[in-house]
Amino acid sequence: MKRHLRLFALYFAQYTKVRLAYKGDFLIAFFSSMVATVLGFGFVWVLFSKIPKLQGWSFYEILFLYAFSITPLGLFNVVSWNLYEFGEQYIIQAKFDRVLLRPVSTLFQVLFERFRLESFQEVVTGLGVIYICIIKLNLKWHVSDAMWFAVMVVCGFLIYLSVFLSLTAVSFWFEDRVGIVPPVFNMLTFGRYPLTIYNDFIQFMLSWIVPFGFASFYPTTHFLGRQSFRTYFYLTPLVAIAFFTLAVAVWNRGVLNYSSTGS
Amino acid sequence: MTSAPLALPSLPTRNRSAAAQQALVYAEFVRVGFINTLAYRLRYYTGIVTYFIYVSVYYFIWKAIYAHSQRIEGFDFGQILTYIAVGWMIRSFYYNNIDQDLAEQVVEGKLAMDLIKPVNVQAMYLARALGESAFRLILLTLPTVIILFTVYPLRPPRSVVHFLAFFLSSSLSFFIVAGINFAVGTLAIRLKSILGLLRAKYFLLELFSGLLIPISFFPHAFQAAFAYMPFQYISYIPVLIYLGKLNGVFILRALGIQFFWVVALISLGDGMWRWSSRRITIQGG
Repeated sequence: MKRHLRLFALYFAQYTKVRLAYKGDFLIAFFSSMVATVLGFGFVWVLFSKIPKLQGWSFYEILFLYAFSITPLGLFNVVSWNLYEFGEQYIIQAKFDRVLLRPVSTLFQVLFERFRLESFQEVVTGLGVIYICIIKLNLKWHVSDAMWFAVMVVCGFLIYLSVFLSLTAVSFWFEDRVGIVPPVFNMLTFGRYPLTIYNDFIQFMLSWIVPFGFASFYPTTHFLGRQSFRTYFYLTPLVAIAFFTLAVAVWNRGVLNYSSTGS
Repeated sequence: MTSAPLALPSLPTRNRSAAAQQALVYAEFVRVGFINTLAYRLRYYTGIVTYFIYVSVYYFIWKAIYAHSQRIEGFDFGQILTYIAVGWMIRSFYYNNIDQDLAEQVVEGKLAMDLIKPVNVQAMYLARALGESAFRLILLTLPTVIILFTVYPLRPPRSVVHFLAFFLSSSLSFFIVAGINFAVGTLAIRLKSILGLLRAKYFLLELFSGLLIPISFFPHAFQAAFAYMPFQYISYIPVLIYLGKLNGVFILRALGIQFFWVVALISLGDGMWRWSSRRITIQGG
């Protein structure tokens, strides 16, 4: 564990140096990425200029939910770069051979070989918007709330990671992905609005199959003082750990199945 | 696999006048764009699911909103649902990745290959994108239209004339998007990595084109500013024509402005290319 932490620090420092070699380039990426994130809020903002509430949720409550969904997602985006290109880069081009030669966990290497540094702005933007919402909604937060908040952000991160890690691991069996990731990625949008507006099927799916609800909606209801989903709130860490364990198991099973393309 | 029946015959290029020969060259790029996309056709099957998910999210949002109101900004629920669904349908056709393609060519140093071809680079990119869109029309737009009309209570176009005008209008949308994408893509030549910029452009187009929410829902200051920008002519205007919210001379006027933007953006792209291509650095290659 200690060794992995040290390695993580080294990987991170190394990659940061690579990225910052072109400072202007990085700044443009950072700020344009921030503009993109802020534009993402545009729909909610325009919508609420015409309507007072969405199923009992006010503008700042929806904003809180939306911001909460992108905060752990930002953390995930920082490390997910290689997941998207895993099939192409590591399997088809057989970069995975090199990964296997090193005495460090394969998953660790694949996740931390590259970082999408500009995605840290999503975390910053998300937290900033949540802070504004807390003030506007006049929420009284105790230290324990802040601690739960941190726990929930980590859980959300683990849930996003688990879902996409499982999908990525599929490329160990089927080299030519049919592109199952984009539709699931787009399901993230469901998590940005109250789960209760959807029909039962979608609510079930977002809770127990692709548990994005646990990464945004259920935690948010608690922080906004809505008590109807209390049980789900406290279940969140369990769901996150369960799905993460499952994803790692699928990954490890996949690694055993790996055979090099031999190039 | 069975790509042969869909592959268009290769076109003979000898014994033609210069202009016809030029046209044939670009027709060949259209064909190449079509065939290249064919190689990735599996992705388009999941693309249908993706578009279905997009529309479904907004279906539930608007359904919750219209539980308490009959009309908002002149739209009843059936109209807003049709507005959103038709918007995504035409997006499945007009969408292209010219900007990303250009950026990739720059990063991988392959731009040199574009430069040595005796063709207009912008026309080549547009032609390939047109081939890709022709492909999308058959294998993405058509199934998406069928599924969405089956699942959701969508309205048909206001009339045959409205439909024809809508068809023409959304074809012009393709050229507006392609024009914007090429112009933005040329920025990669000077800025190198523009993926962040492209992401910002992506969200800007989604919002300002009216794809997510009708332009008439925006605050007035925004609407006034949008009148001088090409974005609403990508999605908002074609769908208003479909719904019959634009009529007669106003349709003609809208098509005229769309055409103006096509010409303006393609000229802009041409200028940007000339400006940037003087400073090309080829990385390796």
